[in-house]
Parts: sequence; C-alpha cells; structure tokens
Amino acid sequence: MSIPLKVVVNGVAHADSVEARTSLLTYLREVRGLLGAKRGCEEGECGSCTVLLDGQPVAACLIFAVEVEGSEIVTVEGLGRAENLSPIQRAIAEAGASQCGFCIPGVLLGAKALLAEHPRPGEEEIRRAISGNLCRCTGYDRIVAAIQQAAEGEK
Amino acid sequence: MRDFSYHAPTSLAEAQALHAQAPLHTRFLAGGTDLFLFLEHGGGDIGTVIDLKAIPGIAEIQQGADGGLRLGALTTMRALENHPDIATRFQALAAAAAVVGGPAIRNRATLGGNLCNASPAADTSVPLLALAAQVVVQSPAGERTMALAELWAGPRKNTLAAGEILREIVLPAPGGRWGCDFQRLTRSAMDIALVNAAAVVKLDDGGAIAAAACALGAVGPTVLPVPGLDEALRGAPCDEKTWQTVAELAQAAARPIDDQRASADYRRQMAGVLARRAAKNAAARAENNAAAGAGGAAGTRP
Repeated sequence: MSIPLKVVVNGVAHADSVEARTSLLTYLREVRGLLGAKRGCEEGECGSCTVLLDGQPVAACLIFAVEVEGSEIVTVEGLGRAENLSPIQRAIAEAGASQCGFCIPGVLLGAKALLAEHPRPGEEEIRRAISGNLCRCTGYDRIVAAIQQAAEGEK
Repeated sequence: MRDFSYHAPTSLAEAQALHAQAPLHTRFLAGGTDLFLFLEHGGGDIGTVIDLKAIPGIAEIQQGADGGLRLGALTTMRALENHPDIATRFQALAAAAAVVGGPAIRNRATLGGNLCNASPAADTSVPLLALAAQVVVQSPAGERTMALAELWAGPRKNTLAAGEILREIVLPAPGGRWGCDFQRLTRSAMDIALVNAAAVVKLDDGGAIAAAACALGAVGPTVLPVPGLDEALRGAPCDEKTWQTVAELAQAAARPIDDQRASADYRRQMAGVLARRAAKNAAARAENNAAAGAGGAAGTRP
C-alpha cells in the first residue's frame, strides 16, 4: 500500500510516498539519502539506527516511516557537518572517542537529547542515556568523558 | 516483510470496525517494538496494521478512585518512569518501566503492548500483578474489566478475542502504610530478565505486616503470583525470619525452565533472592511512606 508521507527531516519539509512496510531507517537512508543512521542489528538492540523523533531518541529500524507523519526527525547530519561540527561532535572527535565510528551517530543523538533535558548530567546519567548504544571498539569511557566535556563546554 | 494495508483511525470504534474486516489477518500497532519484529519474521500472515496512536484519550495517566491510578494502554515506558506520582508511590512500576530495553525503546514501547505481548518476563507485568492491577478491555460489544492475570494464557499468548483492545490499566492504591519494590536480574541494559520480582507490603500501626503480595517473572509460562504469602506473613514482624519465609515461598512458586539465559535451578534460587530483597525493600518503603488512606490525595510523601 503506497501512502503519502509528510515529514520534516533536519529542518526541511518533505512530501514523499512510501510503502506501509518501509521502515523509518530505510526511508531516511534510501529515500532521503542520509546514511548516518546505520543498519546494525535491525532489531532495536544496538542503537546504531538511533534518530531523534520530535526530540526523543528512537530506533528507526523498528518504526514504519508512515508512523512519523507530521513529525520532526533529526539525524546526525542535522547536528552538524564537517565544516561546522556541533559541540558534542567536536567533543567526541577531540576526545578520540570514535574508532570505527559506526555507533557514533546514534551516540551523538542520544547525547543531544540527554543534554537538552539534563544540561549537567552526572556520569551515571550519561551511561544510562547511552545504555542502548553498543560500541565494540572503545569501551565507552572516552565517549562518556566526551559527553561530559560537551556538557561543561555548554555551561 | 510483506506489504500491508496501514490505517491510523482516530477512535477505538473505528479501529475495531477496521479490524473486523479481516480479523484473522490484522494486528493493532502501539509502540511497535515487538510487533515490528513479529511482522519482519513473517509471523501471522498479517495483511492489515491498525495504528492506535492517533486515538485520543488512551495514553493518559489519571487519578483513579481511592487514590489509585488509571493508566492508558498507550502510555509509554518513558512516561511511566518519569511520572512523579508513579515514581514516588508506585516505585516498583516506575523501576520496571525504567529498565525495559534502552532509552530509545522506552520512548516508543507502551504499557498495553508490554502486557498484551504476554511475555512471562515482561518487566511491567510483574509489579502490576503484585499490585493487583485490573485491565479494561474494549470490545465491539462494550467494555469489561478483569484481573490482570486473566489477560495471559501462556508464553506470548493473551486471552483477548479478535478485535478487542486493551484500553486502560487500573492500579488500586493499597491504602494505609504500604510500599512496593521491583527487582530484576539481568546481564545488561538491553537484555531480558533472567528473573524479575516485585513485592507489595502493607504494615499495621505496630509495624508488623498487615498484608503482602509478590509476583515473579521469567520463571513460568506467565508472570506468577506467590501463593500463600499473604497468609504466611500476616502479623509477622519485619525481620530476617520473615524474609527467609518470603524466599522459600517464592522458590516453591517458581516453575522455571532451562534456557540460554539460565538454568531452571539458578532461576529458582534467584527467584528466592529477588523476592526476599523486594519484600524487605517494600517493607522499608512502607515504614518511610506517609499514610495514603482511601480517598487521600496522591503523592503526599514528604
């Protein structure tokens, strides 16, 4: 069933047509060309597909695109680009907190949502906020430090 | 995934009328964190999905009769864990909602979905059973209210007839000096419980136990009550002997299986450990909580 879809992605309004079964992740990657959200586990366990839906982190692999009709989506591309990194992106880069980088878009968006709600999170709060983002490379400590750094930088 | 017809009705009646068009091949969609994967794996030959999220009035948390709460079925885990009244009085439910999956899952997963999915390990099921919750089910013929335990027939099997929608969860307030606690044994944030448990303890004016209830998850085909607990604990002091009794009754009630997460033997032992902790913590909370008698205002804690 082909369904019209109106959604704002990274501040830009779009009108598309998708099949009902198309996941939000597929829509973002293949229709919108935004490859920051990753196909990791595709069952909501790894966090690499995390995007912000009306400001809240969600697993795009478990949502049908049609469910977000009328909503606002932010992907990592909407946080900042190489020539203009957001504070969290800069903090992650400067802390050496990214190795392969696969988990990082999801982490960045989770961190952004956290800092929007808790501008001065403690370590436990940070770890809890990224508890749904699996990282095989870093052991998380530098990621946590980077988010802390970004929070302090914004004070 | 095969394609399907998608609808987003704006009333329960409309949703049920749509469902009736193909009752064996239609599913209701709430948060989607379970249903999406069910469809992905080809389950059930589903040709129609009815999204409930556009229906007003089924995602609210409201004051109920006698100081309890009425929870809309589409309430998300995030809304439950953050609700000030639930976090202060019904701590066991807030604690359970707070550990379902991870943050991204909790922003979508709903209470009704968690209950209707009928996993015996479903975290929110456990405190709700211990708290003697009831569920309000909407069918085309009208509505009915039943004990939560009647919702589950077995692992992943609920008792709803085709087209019925779980609309609301009614949470009574036990009244008097009471407290509740939730415990979960698991490896990591995203993993399912090896065992979970919840206890509700009410104290009399002298500090002895006036009533008690305990529920266990992941140790049987459904979430299980601990039978005989209330009778065994009435009038008992809050001491080690009493908590040991809780542990023994919980172990006796557990009916676990061996699976990839744990052996039945380990689960049975841990059921005792978690039940003991939950009961002890619930009693401590009962000591600390301000009295919230029948008809009292919610959230009267200092």
